Amino acid sequence: MAERRINNMEKIRTAVAQDLLSGRIDLLLGWEKGLYWWQSRPLFARNSEDLQRLTWDSFCVANLSGYLQEELKENKKIGILLKGCDSRALNRLVQDQMVDRERVVAYGLPCPGLLDPRLLKQEAGLELTALGIEEGEDRVTLTGTKGKSIAREELLLEKCRRCHHPDPVGCDQLLLPPVGSREDRSRFHQVTRLEEIPAEERFAYWSSQFERCLRCYACREACPCCSCRECFVEQEEPRWLGKAHENSENFIYHLTRAFHSAGRCVECGECQRVCPVELPLMELSSKIIKDINELYGEYQAGLDTEQDPPLLTYQPDDPAAFVE
Amino acid sequence: MSTALGKTGEVPVNGASPEKERWTPLIVAFCCNWCSYAGGDLAGTSRMDYPANVKVIRMPCSSRINPLFILRAFQRGADGVLVAGCHPGDCHYTSGNYYVRRNLSLFRRLLEFSGIEPERFQVSWISASEGDKFAGVMQSLTEEIKALGPNGKWRDSRWQSVE
Repeated sequence: MAERRINNMEKIRTAVAQDLLSGRIDLLLGWEKGLYWWQSRPLFARNSEDLQRLTWDSFCVANLSGYLQEELKENKKIGILLKGCDSRALNRLVQDQMVDRERVVAYGLPCPGLLDPRLLKQEAGLELTALGIEEGEDRVTLTGTKGKSIAREELLLEKCRRCHHPDPVGCDQLLLPPVGSREDRSRFHQVTRLEEIPAEERFAYWSSQFERCLRCYACREACPCCSCRECFVEQEEPRWLGKAHENSENFIYHLTRAFHSAGRCVECGECQRVCPVELPLMELSSKIIKDINELYGEYQAGLDTEQDPPLLTYQPDDPAAFVE
Repeated sequence: MSTALGKTGEVPVNGASPEKERWTPLIVAFCCNWCSYAGGDLAGTSRMDYPANVKVIRMPCSSRINPLFILRAFQRGADGVLVAGCHPGDCHYTSGNYYVRRNLSLFRRLLEFSGIEPERFQVSWISASEGDKFAGVMQSLTEEIKALGPNGKWRDSRWQSVE
């Protein structure tokens, strides 16, 4: 396994090095190791030295598509490494004409699902600094715990457990062999559970969740579809949102953030992953996706760029969720 | 409360107290300029009665509605919100209400998901010639919201009624 990983890494590095060093691309967006073994942070590589730091492991979780808009202001052509979810985000940005596809070289990395450090810590009962992992084919061994071994599937990030399309879509080249589609996974079980409880309990649930929100806006920053140049949150005239720590304002923020990405959310789950207080933000986005599917037909953003986004089109005989 | 009521011999029916009887809901109605607002005008000039606690806000088109308007209304004291526009097919701008039908359908379900009773947010198509429908919708909406009682959900804790 370790050998295969090194082989994969070499394959990826050779492919992108060719393009970067020949000047076909000015910048490569990838990942490098951060301070800790359980974190891989975005890498902005411009030369062969930078490329030495390039990494592809089970923690390369950041969705790099979100950086394209900003980076394309200063670079003519950008190469980008994309997992399944990231590639759909790129496609959706291209469809919204926020990113010029001609100026992007997309390298696809079929993704086996990434590991959740929170679960690793929980399973080991140890601080992550005292822990290490060895990855096998479908099992992960925790070193530092007398060799406890757990199925990889059980350590995946929440977003990876519901992922249907681990293989990148619409990339210029795939750097690794595809892993196959995973349409057997359930995407809406959590939403369905919440829909079934009484309204009062649902209100209490969301009330207690939003109360913890710090309004750090990390969810917005990490979201690849939050592509507005000026967000309603910062707009002064009209002032949509107050600055006070007040639950009704938190509620307005989260509902509006989710609704602004309606029909554009690619379910990369970055909003929920980056939340410092672990709000279940994907439940809001999933709810909208589920309703779109029920009312206006199956739509998965970023899969098929020829398909009209559901909120930018209509049928004269559309159903409505209210008494007309 | 119950002892005071007991003394005067009043028996609350279905939890209704005299205070709840007196309470009138605050309803915000966003009306499209070309159909529903004119429908409201017709209701007025035809001397039809509809509850005075409905505050009408004139919009250029129902698709001008930003969901933030609705959230803000609930935050600042509305017990119910209505969006009224032209019938599908009759939009002054050809297709505004078709888009808003999709938009607000999803938004209504999202509001319900967040814990607000769905009856508190309604959408209705009222044409300029339907003064009676305008009055009827306002009447039934007020009654529905009255039955639900005041909305405390997602209310700004700093907000106070001006009454």
